[in-house]
Amino acid sequence: MKAELIEGIKEKVGAGVLKTETRKRRANVTVEPAALRKAVGALLTHRPRFVIIAAVDAGMGIDLLYHFDVGGRLVIIRTTVAKEESEVDTIVDLVPAADWAEKEAAELFGVRFSAHPQPGHLVLPKDWPSDKPPLMGPFKRMLPEQFCPVAESLISTGMTAPMSPLMQRKREEAGLPSAPPASSTSEASLSEVQKAMKGLEFDKKAGYNWKKGKLRHK
Amino acid sequence: MKYALFLGCMIPQRIPSVELAEKKVFEKLGVDAPELQGYSCCPDSVVARLLDKKMWLTLAARNLSLAEQQGLDLLVLCNGCYETLVEAKEILKRDPQAAKEAGEILAKAGMKYAGKARVRHVVEVLYEDVGVEKIKKLSKPLKLKLAVHPGCHMFRESDGGDIWRKPKQFEELVRATGAEVVNSKLDRLCCGFPMMQVNEEASLKQTLLPKLADYQELGVDGIVVSCPACNIQFETGQVLLRKYGARYNIPCLHLVELLAIAFGFSAEELALNVHRSPVPQLVQKVG
Repeated sequence: MKAELIEGIKEKVGAGVLKTETRKRRANVTVEPAALRKAVGALLTHRPRFVIIAAVDAGMGIDLLYHFDVGGRLVIIRTTVAKEESEVDTIVDLVPAADWAEKEAAELFGVRFSAHPQPGHLVLPKDWPSDKPPLMGPFKRMLPEQFCPVAESLISTGMTAPMSPLMQRKREEAGLPSAPPASSTSEASLSEVQKAMKGLEFDKKAGYNWKKGKLRHK
Repeated sequence: MKYALFLGCMIPQRIPSVELAEKKVFEKLGVDAPELQGYSCCPDSVVARLLDKKMWLTLAARNLSLAEQQGLDLLVLCNGCYETLVEAKEILKRDPQAAKEAGEILAKAGMKYAGKARVRHVVEVLYEDVGVEKIKKLSKPLKLKLAVHPGCHMFRESDGGDIWRKPKQFEELVRATGAEVVNSKLDRLCCGFPMMQVNEEASLKQTLLPKLADYQELGVDGIVVSCPACNIQFETGQVLLRKYGARYNIPCLHLVELLAIAFGFSAEELALNVHRSPVPQLVQKVG
């Protein structure tokens, strides 16, 4: 696989490219959902042949693998849409051949391809309920559910559990500060811990939503 | 004698009386133990380690490097924190790849792990650095029969050392207060705390209950532990066992709380009412 092809995508997409992997006859480019169209657009300059979109239930999200053939070599642009959102931009206006593949992924996995020019029925019986995509399983984390409170607290405070208001009061009554001098009470220390969590991708493993400050789909 | 005190999560969040007792006891004994600033969970040696070993190792390395920055050894009041920090230190010493990976993450936060800080359990510090004689001199002899539960992680020893070293020291420290140590045939049985996370009934009925029954039969006045997780298990476990028809009400306290009581501090001064077992009543018994 020509390295310049991958480098070209990385250059045009920028931070939206999460990971690349190149083998002899195959390359994988993992992108943020928001960067999908840019990545496909960058690949189109190499005149690829669209092959298929493979959708895979990945537990917390749906993996979408856009397969393209570039001169006999496979380039897979991969993105993951969160199950609670399950939405990604269509590429049908860029690659008309992707129409049926998007419709199939929409019906079977519940992915909404926003701005699809002509969404509609393709493979399921016409009376199949649209809110029950048959191949999308329930939300399933990589971590056991019973340990999720610990994971959430570790990421959000650096401690195994948050300090309860009752215990804060009891500590003060006992003449102690309301909390110990830990990462939970120091912005700089918490930032160090959270950078480590991101660097180790523990946040992804746990399914942590940084905007909401809690685990996804709780 | 100066150390960086690693408080961990459970003591400040669940049993702050241990934090109070530690301050009073160390002051009496001339131990300078400023709290480690900005630490995170050790992280815990059972659940967090299973969730993600790299995360576990990196956060432990960060905590160790915080003590290094101060040029101090770590003083730990919890068996779980002790195991994590000791084992993480060993892994970082023996596994160059793991050390490299953790080091890269720490470097992004401008931190560096060099492996210089030692990890000392409070039992080691009290026995080896302070000495039993000093504790005996300061103690008002307690006329109590006490069970000792060293806890599983206290048996961890690096470099092929004697696994009974710290548990024996622990017993000696309890004896230094004048209390009688009553040994149970189930002393080495786990309290069941880790199992509570996956099977509450088995944890309570198969591990905690037999221990409590034996302690009751031996007529102990209380149980001394050196780990907040064991302490919580003995206390909340006795409450939860009521739904299975088992009624026990044995006081359970941390070693530093026992020492503080022996040094003459009152239940109020130590805020022992945060316990869920009748620890304040134990102090009344002492008079």
